[in-house]
Amino acid sequence: MAFELMSGSQAAAVAVQRVGIDLVAAYPITPQTAIVETLANFEAKGELGGEFVSVESEYAALACCYGAAATGARAFTATSSHGLAYMHEIIHWCSGARVPIVMVNVNRTIGAPWSLDPDQGDSLSQRDTGWMQIYCANAQEVFDTVLQAYALAEELLLPCMVVFDGFYISHTYEAIDVAEKEEVRRFIGPPGFEAQVKPGSPGNTHALTTGENQLLLVRNRHETMLRAPAVFEEINKRFSDIMGRSYKIIDYVIPPGAKTVFLAAGSTSETVRWALPKLNNTGLIQLRMFRPFPAGQLRSVLAAHDVEKVIVVDRNCSTGMGGIFAQELRSALYEMENPPQVQDMILAGGVDLTFEMLEKILIPGPDESRTEDKWGVDLK
Amino acid sequence: MNEMFEFRLHGRGGQGIVVAASIFAEAVFLEGFYARAFSLFGAERRGAPVTAFIRVSKDRLMPRSRIYQPDYVVVFDSTITGSTLIAGLKDEGTLLVNGGESWDDNLTGILGPDNRYQIKTVDATQIAWKHKLAIGSFPMVNTVMLGAMGRISGLTSLENLISSIKKRVSASIDANISAVTEGYERVKEVERLVT
Repeated sequence: MAFELMSGSQAAAVAVQRVGIDLVAAYPITPQTAIVETLANFEAKGELGGEFVSVESEYAALACCYGAAATGARAFTATSSHGLAYMHEIIHWCSGARVPIVMVNVNRTIGAPWSLDPDQGDSLSQRDTGWMQIYCANAQEVFDTVLQAYALAEELLLPCMVVFDGFYISHTYEAIDVAEKEEVRRFIGPPGFEAQVKPGSPGNTHALTTGENQLLLVRNRHETMLRAPAVFEEINKRFSDIMGRSYKIIDYVIPPGAKTVFLAAGSTSETVRWALPKLNNTGLIQLRMFRPFPAGQLRSVLAAHDVEKVIVVDRNCSTGMGGIFAQELRSALYEMENPPQVQDMILAGGVDLTFEMLEKILIPGPDESRTEDKWGVDLK
Repeated sequence: MNEMFEFRLHGRGGQGIVVAASIFAEAVFLEGFYARAFSLFGAERRGAPVTAFIRVSKDRLMPRSRIYQPDYVVVFDSTITGSTLIAGLKDEGTLLVNGGESWDDNLTGILGPDNRYQIKTVDATQIAWKHKLAIGSFPMVNTVMLGAMGRISGLTSLENLISSIKKRVSASIDANISAVTEGYERVKEVERLVT
């Protein structure tokens, strides 16, 4: 292992090269472009180890990955924002077809108007497509999570989206511990999942079905995805034995006696983690896995620490309902006996989270309710 | 929490300020610091104003927000002027400008009577031309500015800047090494123009 200075996007691309990829199909879009560029450079130097397919659109990119994965190949694509939205139909198809593709989405606002800032609404609007989603807080997590995502996806035969913020991670250069190919090989071997399509053996796949058969498939997919936390734990054990780094589905720091915790996914969680020693007796829950949603674990952690209030950092907004992480948390807490209050901090548009905003939301003004949802602009 | 050192770099697309930020981050990493270099831009294009940031700390954990109160503001292009350049610059901070004599006059425009930071200049454009570092008519000042940044901050030695340049720059290595060295040696303090 060696420390190297690289951006979050480069970390994703290097992880894909190290994991032993059979096929990359991708189309450039800011802020994800450096992933495609880095992989194309590997291809140009003959170091990719698999096939690089230049496609005419994101729709084609994912369709190409689907075709490859249907033959049992390990496939990768990356996109952002409008590119992800353009893939939408195939995103559903891949999970229904149970192909273990890994895709990176670098968060970027979806227009109109055009914007490059890292609103999470692109990946969150794919919440119900049957893909697992893991949110990363730094370039090291990006590198490691891409490796773990392949192990998880191939074990469960479900596709997995690895998500991180544009610019704050994708364009940030930092030193990370980069595992060599041999180390990665010890963690994950070549893909061993069964091919649905075998060249030379004609047939049809995913032919027309009816409601009840579909229901059974949907139930199976749902129940399979609910196994992800347990499977992740096994995978992570193997990973940490080899790499010396370990991850959790939800990663929390709750000081003894802390009554208020922030819940954040992605790069904002790192800002909160850094700020904790300066914020009076406050904790953090970093939500890493969003699909499946770790409702049970969240309830256990909040109950075990007698948390009274959760402030959710939502760099997104579902118009007409509010921040999406807060919605999901509130829904999970419905089954709790004494649920904590939930306050939403909405940073839609990819607004920067600063220390001053964290301080301000903890001390409401004299006329403000303690749990009134707050928009980022009102915390400046 | 450990002390952090924060830099904000102002330049134009094509001047290599994003690359400069990553070279600086690598050099201070070689010194034993953690560092992060990142940039903000719209759709990148040559000539448009670009802002890059560097955060340096002994602690790996740092905030992942933009930098609003920098310890150092570094101006790569003296045609970028205006009060936004020095926005948030700490009183005990330093403004480093690529400038010869003509820039000293421009400074008056952005200095208020309450500003207490130090001002340093290095004639990076002239040094870049001298070493034939240019793309067409566009002088590549970034390695000169890196030398000056290393010197005024004391966060990295010239040797580590050179190691980092060798690793991250592919063209005109010798000229860039001469440029970083001259930037390191020729940065000078400007006498305060207002009291």
